[in-house]
Amino acid sequence: MLRNTDTRWGSVAQTFHWLIAALIVVQGAIGLTMVELGMTPTKVKVFALHKSIGLTVLALVLLRLAWRLIQRAPREVSMPPWQRAAARLSHFLLYVLILALPFSGWLFNSAANFPLEWFGIFHVPSLTRGLDPVLKAFALRAHVVLFWVLVAVVAIHVFAALWHHYRQRDDVLLRMLPARRKRNLFRRQGVSP
Amino acid sequence: MKTGLVFTVLVLLPLAVFARAWKVDAARSSLAFSGTYQGETFDGRFKHFDAKVNYDPADLAQAKFDVTVDIASVDTANTERDQALPGKDFFDTAQFPRAHFVTTRFRKAANGQVLADGTLSLRGVSKPVTLAVKFAPLGHGATLDVETTLKRLDFGIGGGDWADTSMIGNAVTVRGRLQLSKVP
Repeated sequence: MLRNTDTRWGSVAQTFHWLIAALIVVQGAIGLTMVELGMTPTKVKVFALHKSIGLTVLALVLLRLAWRLIQRAPREVSMPPWQRAAARLSHFLLYVLILALPFSGWLFNSAANFPLEWFGIFHVPSLTRGLDPVLKAFALRAHVVLFWVLVAVVAIHVFAALWHHYRQRDDVLLRMLPARRKRNLFRRQGVSP
Repeated sequence: MKTGLVFTVLVLLPLAVFARAWKVDAARSSLAFSGTYQGETFDGRFKHFDAKVNYDPADLAQAKFDVTVDIASVDTANTERDQALPGKDFFDTAQFPRAHFVTTRFRKAANGQVLADGTLSLRGVSKPVTLAVKFAPLGHGATLDVETTLKRLDFGIGGGDWADTSMIGNAVTVRGRLQLSKVP
């Protein structure tokens, strides 16, 4: 099912979720590694890769938000109001962060006057008119701070998903997984559906 | 007779040279270059250089350019690149702080374009280089535009790991624009 249903996220929403999640993990690993590299062509290539993946994430997030806005989300699982509020807040924060992170990287790249090519295929325009040292410093700081905030919110998000699945035994996690996987997960736990 | 000739030469030679000597207005002159990096063009300049210009379009045989460039004054509007360029992998300004260009002869191409052949010494390598020259007199001064395209690898700029021309293009276009005024 491509579209969301009342009880499940559709395959489009799931693909966005897991693809962006995977890319962000890759981005974090590349980002933390690349800043330690010495000034070699390898470093330049790794940075270029980080930028290309980041732009991909930005585009995917915009498409995902558009899809999210034209689609109804599955009905919320019943839970205490404070949990519902926390879930809504963390989901909102996640959307903001995964949008702001690549954007701040793009801004930093622009203000530092670095080239920007999407996988060497096409040129992506600068957001500034060349070098801007003040904006550059701000954007770099924002990029780093936003990353660590994202790490914290993702940790909460993952913890909450696992807690719902293993403690609450509700279908919060399952409805973001392909239907086929549902049976496997139950089998692994020794729970009959 | 011989004394007369020597006298004539001594009096006229400096006059002839001075007639073609120009003062370069450093504040309004520029020495710029364009290269490519990761598939995109970038522009840079050398903030400090010293140019001695003797030029009279009607007497190219006596023309001479002698330019010394302070390589460490390179500026490409990118902090990281400007930190890397003076390093050993690129200009190696610790060993080669200056580049020098001096003309050997001027000639006219078939289309009338004035060309200045000379020798460029850059990063310990001396190579023949030809500048396209455009001279535009204006009032008491003149604008002198010169342009050439160099190959960075000819001079060992960005050798070794940086020799990959798909990342840093080999061709670098150099453009000089000098505002000249007559020597009083």
